[in-house]
Amino acid sequence: MIDGLNTMLPLAWRNLWRNPRRTGITLIVVAIGVWSILFFNAFMIAWAKSSKETTLQLLLGSGQIHAEGYMDDPSIEKLMDPPDLDLTSALDLPAVADWTTRVVVPGVVQSEYKTLPATIVGVDPTAEARISSIPGKIAEGRYLNSSDDDSAVLGLHMVERLKTGLGRRVILMSQNTAGAMSEQSFDVVGIYDADKATEDLYVFTGRAASQAFLGLEGEIAQIVFVLQEEMALEDTIAAMADAAPDLDVRSWRDLNLFLASMDSYMRVFIHVWLGIVFALMAIGIINTQLMAVFERTQEFGLLRALGMKPRRVLLMVTIENALLIGVGVLLGMAMAAVTIWSVSDGIDFSAFARAMEMVQTGEIIYLDYEPDAFILFPGLIWLLGILVALWPARRASNCRPVDAMRRET
Amino acid sequence: MDPIVTCRGLSKTFGKGELAVHALRDVDLDIMPGDIATLAGPSGSGKTTLLNMIGALDEPTSGEVSVGGQPLSGISRSGLSDLRLSKIGFVFQSYNLIPVLSARENIEFVLQLQGVSGSERHDRAMEAIKEVGLAGMEDRRPGKMSGGQQQRVAVARALVSRPTIVLADEPTANLDSKNALELVDLMRNLNREHGTTFLIGTHDVRVMEHSMRHIEMVDGRIDNDARSSA
Ligand SMILES: Nc1ncnc2c1ncn2[C@@H]1O[C@H](COP(=O)(O)OP(=O)(O)OP(=O)(O)O)[C@@H](O)[C@H]1O
Ligand SMILES: [Mg+2]
Repeated sequence: MIDGLNTMLPLAWRNLWRNPRRTGITLIVVAIGVWSILFFNAFMIAWAKSSKETTLQLLLGSGQIHAEGYMDDPSIEKLMDPPDLDLTSALDLPAVADWTTRVVVPGVVQSEYKTLPATIVGVDPTAEARISSIPGKIAEGRYLNSSDDDSAVLGLHMVERLKTGLGRRVILMSQNTAGAMSEQSFDVVGIYDADKATEDLYVFTGRAASQAFLGLEGEIAQIVFVLQEEMALEDTIAAMADAAPDLDVRSWRDLNLFLASMDSYMRVFIHVWLGIVFALMAIGIINTQLMAVFERTQEFGLLRALGMKPRRVLLMVTIENALLIGVGVLLGMAMAAVTIWSVSDGIDFSAFARAMEMVQTGEIIYLDYEPDAFILFPGLIWLLGILVALWPARRASNCRPVDAMRRET
Repeated sequence: MDPIVTCRGLSKTFGKGELAVHALRDVDLDIMPGDIATLAGPSGSGKTTLLNMIGALDEPTSGEVSVGGQPLSGISRSGLSDLRLSKIGFVFQSYNLIPVLSARENIEFVLQLQGVSGSERHDRAMEAIKEVGLAGMEDRRPGKMSGGQQQRVAVARALVSRPTIVLADEPTANLDSKNALELVDLMRNLNREHGTTFLIGTHDVRVMEHSMRHIEMVDGRIDNDARSSA
C-alpha cells in the first residue's frame, strides 16, 4: 500500500499537469472558494468584534448594576444607594478595569422650537471618560467639567432637531422624588457626535447636578463597569451578585440582546456562505473531473486491461483529486493570508459606519488571522471536495477495458 | 504438452434480436506453449473479439476459455484483473502506454502492480528495454517516441511480467514497413529465445510470413488453421 502510494503520488502529480487549462480552472475555483470563506470569516468576526467593542465603549460597559426592577421600569422610584463596602470591594477587583455611577432617568428636553423625549444621564466626567467613548466624541464645545457641572451636553442630531446650539439653553424636565415634575434650564456647553440613535436619546449633565435637579440625596440609577478581559466576565458578575444580592447585576450580554446574539447570527451567516461556496465549488469540481475522466477513458481502460483493479483505479483518481483540490486549498489559504495581511492596517469603514448609523460599527476594522478557521474551513473543503470527486472517480474505476479499447478504432 | 489457452464452443453475440451480431460462432482453439500464431481474416471476422475473450477483457456469450488450465468463467472482476496482470501480456494497436510515464516507468508499472520490489523492478525494466533495443531511451515519455518505439515499449512491458501468453491486436497497423518488420523480428526473436507465446491479430502479411501458425477467421469462425516452418 505504502509502495502503491509511492508510485501513485508522482503519477497523480504528473497527471494534474496534463491538461493545464482544466487543472487551472479547478485550482481557481477551489482557491477562490477557500479565499472567500476565510476572508469573509475574518471580516465578519472583525466586524462583529468591532461593533461589539464600539457599543460596549459607548455607554454600555462590560456590565451594569441596577436596583431590582429598574430595568423594567427605569423611573425615579427605582434608584439605589451608591455601592456599599462589599460591592465596592467587588468593583475594585483586579479584573475590573474601571467603574463609575450614573443617574439615568427618562425625561424631556425642550428648546424654543421643540420638545423631545430624552434620557437624562448624570455622570462623573472624570470616571466617565475612562469608561465611555462619548466624552471623546465632542464635536463642538466641551464635555462636562465635574460632577457638579450643571450644564448639558447634547447629541449632534438632537441639537439639529431642537434647532438649538452651543451657548443656547435647553430645559430638562423629569419626575422628581416628590412625584412632581422638576424642570430646569441648562446651558448647552458641548455637542457630541456618535450614531443617530445615541444622539437622539442621551442628554448628559453632571451627576451631582442631576441629583440636585431631581431632589435626590446621593441615590444613583446605575453602576457601570468595564473589565480588563472579557474572559473574566462570568466570574466577575458572579462576585458582584454575591456582594450585592439585592441588586440586579447584568453582563452586556443580558443588557444588549442583539449584540449578544450577533455572534450566533454571524456563525449562521458564515455557514450559509460556506454552503453556497461549497455547492458552487462542488459543481465546478464534478464538472471538470467528469470531463477529465471522459477524456481519459482509454487510459483507464488500458490500466484495467493491464490488470489494475477497479478499487485501485478509484484510489489513484482520488489521490489525484486530493492533490488537485489540496493545491487549490493551499492557494486559497495563501491568497486569504495575503489579503488579510494587506489590510492589516485596518479597513476604513467610516463612510459605511456613517451610512449605517443604525448599527454600531467601528470606523476602522482590523482583520485577524484566525488560526482555527485557517485549519478548519480549508480542511473541511478539502475533505468535502474529495468526497464529491468520488463520483467522477467511480466512473473512472468502472471503465470497461473493451469499451475503452474500441474507442480508438 | 498441454495447451496454454483453450477455447471450447466459444460464441459471442453483440446486441439482441434483429440487431444481433454474431462476432464469434462456436470457436474451438488451442494455443500451445511457444506458439507464435497469427489470427488473420477480413475486417469484422471476429479477431479482436476472440483476443478479448482470451485476454479476459470480455465475457463470451457461451463456451469456455481457459488460460494456463484455469477456466475464466466464474472469476470475479477483481480476480480477472489479477489473471490479466499475471498471465497475459497485451500489445494493442495504439494507446498502449501511459502518457505521463517514461518508457521505463511504463514497464515498471505492471511490476509495481504485481508487487515487485523497487530495485528489482528497475533492473527488470532496464533489461526488458535493452531486449527490445531501446537502451538509452528509457527516460523518454511516449509522446517523444516514434510509433515503432512505442510498440517496442509495449512489447517490453508485455514481456516483463513473464506472462503465459502475449496477445497483440494489430500491433503493426500504425507502423511503416521498416518499423513493422523490426517489431515482427523482435517478437520472433523473443519467441525463439525465451519461448514466449504470441497470438497476433493482424492483416499484415509481413507478420503472417514470420509466424509459424496461421489461423484464418471468417465470419466469426475459424476457417483455416495451418502450421508452417517460417
Ligand atoms: N461491442 C460491440 N458491440 C457490437 N458489435 C460489436 C462489438 N464489438 C465487435 N462487434 C462486431 O463484432 C464483429 C467482429 O468484430 P471484431 O472487432 O472482432 O472484428 P475484427 O476481425 O477484429 O475486425 P478488424 O479487422 O476490423 O479489426 C464485427 O461485426 C463488429 O462490428
Ligand atoms: Mg480488430
